[in-house]
Formats: sequence, structure tokens, C-alpha cells
Amino acid sequence: MDTFLQIVANGLMLGGLFAIVAVGLTLIFGIVKVINFAHGEFLMVGMYLSFLLSTGLDVHPYLTAAAVAPALFVLGALTQRLLIQPLMSARDEHVQIFATVGLSTALMNLALLIFGADIANTPAHGVRSQVMLGEVRILTGQLWVLAAAVALVIGLQLFMKKTRTGRAIRATAQNRAAARLMGINDKFIYILTFGIGAACVGLGSSLIAPLYPTSPTIGTYFVLIAFVCVVLGGLGSIPGAFFGALVIGLVDALSGFYIGSDLREAVVFTIFLLILILKPSGLFGTRMNLSHVSP
Amino acid sequence: MKLKSLLTATAAAALLAGAAHADVKFGALYPFSGGLALLGEESFRGVEIAVDEINAAGGIKGEQIELVRGDAVDNNQAIGEARRLISREGVKAILGTYSSSRSIAASQVAELSGIPYFELGAVADEVTGRDLQYLFRTNPTAETMGIMTIDMIVDEIAPGLGVAPEDLVIGVIHEDSAYGTSVAGHQERYGAEKGLNIATVQGYPTSTVDMSSLVLDLKDRGVNIVLQTSYQNDSVLFLNQSAEAGFEPDAIIGGGGGYSLTATAEAVGDKMDGVLDVDFTQYAVNTEFTPGLEDFLAAYQAKYGEDPRSGHSLNNYVGAMAVLEGIGAGEGFEPDQIVAAAKAIDIPSGATAAGYGVHFGEHNQNDRAMMMGMQWQDGKLVTVYPRDAAVAEFQIGD
Repeated sequence: MDTFLQIVANGLMLGGLFAIVAVGLTLIFGIVKVINFAHGEFLMVGMYLSFLLSTGLDVHPYLTAAAVAPALFVLGALTQRLLIQPLMSARDEHVQIFATVGLSTALMNLALLIFGADIANTPAHGVRSQVMLGEVRILTGQLWVLAAAVALVIGLQLFMKKTRTGRAIRATAQNRAAARLMGINDKFIYILTFGIGAACVGLGSSLIAPLYPTSPTIGTYFVLIAFVCVVLGGLGSIPGAFFGALVIGLVDALSGFYIGSDLREAVVFTIFLLILILKPSGLFGTRMNLSHVSP
Repeated sequence: MKLKSLLTATAAAALLAGAAHADVKFGALYPFSGGLALLGEESFRGVEIAVDEINAAGGIKGEQIELVRGDAVDNNQAIGEARRLISREGVKAILGTYSSSRSIAASQVAELSGIPYFELGAVADEVTGRDLQYLFRTNPTAETMGIMTIDMIVDEIAPGLGVAPEDLVIGVIHEDSAYGTSVAGHQERYGAEKGLNIATVQGYPTSTVDMSSLVLDLKDRGVNIVLQTSYQNDSVLFLNQSAEAGFEPDAIIGGGGGYSLTATAEAVGDKMDGVLDVDFTQYAVNTEFTPGLEDFLAAYQAKYGEDPRSGHSLNNYVGAMAVLEGIGAGEGFEPDQIVAAAKAIDIPSGATAAGYGVHFGEHNQNDRAMMMGMQWQDGKLVTVYPRDAAVAEFQIGD
């Protein structure tokens, strides 16, 4: 029983980790309708920034979020303005997907060039210490990640529902043409949203950096699973991505123990395929309005 | 028209004349850019030092050796560069390659062109498992690694713990690409031959971000010896998550890759203390068993102004020295003369800077190639096995 509880706890903590990466991804997809394949590399860039700042200034890696999240906001906004926006008028929207794939490869190789293939270790500053909940061991750092993911989801929901800007973002997502007629600057909304999505992963990267050694390919480790979480929760749904991530974390941990570590990915992706077949809109998703795609 | 053909003829003649006076060319095919560039470059440095040493001593058969670099950034380019080296540069043989998959791809091209290919660093079984006529390998393989790990358990770890080898509960875990899978396969097979109790063999994807379930599984099975064949990221993950789950096996034996690198040790801190590792010969080794190692280190520092970043340069140096000197002792530079010269190489164990001898046996694999057993002691990776090469005692048990 103890082992079972430990596995469930591990699964939830892993879910929190996936969630904090997936939230930004689903936001960008839901609003801008671009699948950002460079999301994992945004995470990687954030982790390197966190590493550099926390070792350079000798501060707690969590404090670096104050600089990393804004930096990632700028990176995201620039990506939308300089890469995606010029392609939005392209006849085939798949071009945008290829552009983000290209950005992903470019960022990864840039990191290889600058930092080399070796791993970089962000000092843990105590977040690798454990707390015991009964017989269950949990890392404090993982608890913080989960807490931050919950706070991020609630914060984003409030922002989207209660603020004027949030309403403008949702309006643009629902119907770009109508939003424009209401005087909303849709290009600005897209840049803003892409920036916020990237800032979310920036926050995540400061929390993840002390838990995982940073390397140029670290983003690819997280992003594939993050895509699964996003699809599971319903493309574009922020709470959906969060609960999707928890489900995937649990499935991953349980199947890793009871079925075997070689088959855990097979289990996760089988579930992914079943969801796609049986409930294509995801567990929490609604039908998406793609009005801007077909003119 | 006449003038043009005259010019062409003159140019061709000049080229031919140039060729007659040129040095003898050998190709050096390594990943010099991309993800494997660091250790590709490190491997190449070993070859470069060997060539410098031979050239300074008068070259081979009176000719200076010229190395022509080829960048095997991926499998396709490895093939393209091998073609270029052979047809455009006219190299007499190719040395390489560090990466197994690129070696397998590029050696195919050399085989078809009838140009000898000397593999000095790639470990996959398939490299020499294909019975190519012109391919030779000097370095130890995945099988060597698997056998060495099991021997170390039987010879040193079980006695050190004061138990019979068959009473140990062994867990084999590995990253699930060709590298990890083949080493783990050899460990399982050879371990069974030695009567060891291998409780579980489990693969995991290299890109995993969580090994907590795997750790709990090993703990649940009462595993006390863990063998992990891994890269850097998963080594760190396993060591950290083991400690966090309170899983303390009596011995952890890593297989190459991540376990030999200082950055890994820094990432996990004192959890690395006492961890064992089987890999290519490294530098903290008994130099009586590795004559020439100190000269190699001095040459390396003089040329590059730093210490070697890993044992790759050393092993490529030893392979290149053996092969090039062997060719020098042969009849000439025609492919069949080089093959005959390679087959005549006979260097005993304990006579090279890496400790192992060179002699091409079945499938043109060096049947004297071996790895070393090492242990992290006080933040340093020191050789502990075999005893002849050891610089420190095994620290095992209490």
C-alpha cells in the first residue's frame, strides 16, 4: 500500500511538471491557433537563463523567474511578430507549423553552439530536500512546481474571464473577424498571447531548472508529453491541460511500475490515440472556432 | 578549343606530378559538428597526436602522413564524406568514427570502394558483425563492456561484500537505443552463464524525465546490485531519484557514457562516491600497464593547451598508432597491402598507452581490446579493475 501511495504521489508530482509546461502551449494553441513546436526549446532557453542567473548572481533559482519570465515573454512576442504573423496570410496555415519546427531546431543548435552538449547544473538551494507525508516522500521542489501550476491555471482563468484584455483575447479566439469589427487589434492580441504563453513556460523553467540538469535537448523530453496533455485536456483548454497533465503523470508512474518501464510510453500514447479516436475534442474541450483559417 | 584541351592536359599533368610528390593521405571521419561534436573532436585529437608522433619520427615508408578531415554530422553526411574522401581526396584508408551508426553507414561505402576502414572508437556489435573485408576495429565493444561488468561482480564485488555471487540480486537497467540494449543483452546472457541471479532487465527511453517507478520496482524486488547503461541525463536522474526514494543498493555499476563524465558527478554530488563504472581506459590508471600514457598526455597538453576531456582521445590515439605503424611495416599503400599489414599486427596486452593489445581476430575485431573498471572515489574516477591496471583499492561493503 505504501508503495502504491508513493507511486500515486510520484505521478501527481510528475503531472505538475507536465502541467506547467503544457499550460503555455495550450494557451497559444487555443488563441493563436498555432501549434508551437518550439515550446520545448522555450523551456530549454528559460532553464539556461535560470542557470546562468542563479550561478552568476548566486541567487535562488526561483528568484530568477522575475527575470526569466519577462525574457521569455519577449521571446514569445518576437516569435509571433517576426515569424508567425508574416506567415498568417500564407495560403496554407501548415507553413506556421513548419516555421516553429524550424525555430525549435535553430534554438537547439544555438544552445549546442553556446553551451556544448554537456549538462549544466543549476544549484538546488534546498529544493531537492524531502518532506514526508506519512510514509510518502516528496521533493519540496516538486511540491512547489505543482503549487505554481495550480496558481498559474487559476490566475490565467481569472485574467481571461475578469479583465478587459482577457475578454479581448477570448473574443479574438472566438471570432477574429468580429473581434476586429469591435475595434480589437487582433495582431496585438496574438503577440500578447504568444508572449504570455512563453512567459508561463519561463516561470516553469525557473522551477524545473534546480530539479533537472539542463542540456540543449531537455525541451524535447518534456514537450512531446506536454502535447499529449494538451490534446487529452482538449486543445486550448487551460484547466483541461492541467488535469490532462495529472492524468498522464499518474498513468506514466503507475504503468512504469505495474507494467514495466519499457512500456510506459506505449501506454501513454495508446491512451492518447484512444482519446483522439473516441473523444477528439478531449476530456474538457469544446469545438474550436477556426473562423480565421477559412476566409 | 585546342588551347583549352592543351590547358586541361597541362593541368592534369601538373596534378599528377603533384600527386607523385604528395604525402600519403588518410581520411579522418568524425562528427565535427552537431550533437556529437564534442567527443567526435576529442576522438580526432587522438589520431592527430598519433600522426604528429609518426611524422616527427620520419613518417611511414618514408612518406609524411596527411590527415584529411571528413565531417560525419549525420549518417547521410557520413556516407557523402566517405565518398568524397575516397574519390576526390584519394585517401589510402579511413580512420574514424566515434558514432556507431555513422561508422556502419560510412564503412559500407569504403567496403564497396575497396578502401580499408579502421574503426577506433564505435562500440556497437554490428560494426564488425557484418563480416566486411576492409573493416577493422581496434577498440573494445558493447560485448566487452557487458562481460567486463559481470566479471567485476564475480571477481571483486561479491567477495568484497562477503557473499556468494549467485546470492546477489542484480537489476539491469538501460536506455533503450541500440547501445544500451546490446550492452544489457550481453550482461544478461553472460550473467546467466556465470550463474548470477538477474532479477530484472528493464529499458527506458533516453528522453525520460522520471525514473521513480523504475527505482521503486528495483527496491521492491530487493535488488542490491544495479547495472545501468546510460547517457548523462538518465544517469543523473537515476542516482538522484534512487537517493530520494531511499534506495541504497550495495553497488551501482554504470556503463560508460554518463558515468565517466565529471559533469555527471558534479550534478549528483556525493551520491557519486563509490559508484563503479566500466568504460574505455581513462587517465587515472597504473602507467606500468599503460606504457606511453604519460607521453601521450604531455603531447596532448603541448598541442591543445588543456587536459584531455575524456578517454576517447587516448583510445583513438592507441588505435591510430597501432594501425599506422602496422601499415608502415607492410608492403605498401594498396588496399590489399594495407589489409595484409593490418592482419599482421600483433601487439601484446600491457604494451600500449590504453593497456590493451592489438590483434585482429574473428570479423577483424581486435580480440585483445578490453575496458577498465573504475570507481568514483573522493570526486575522482580511478581505475580499480583489473588489478594490474588499478591505481586504487576497491571500496566495497563496509
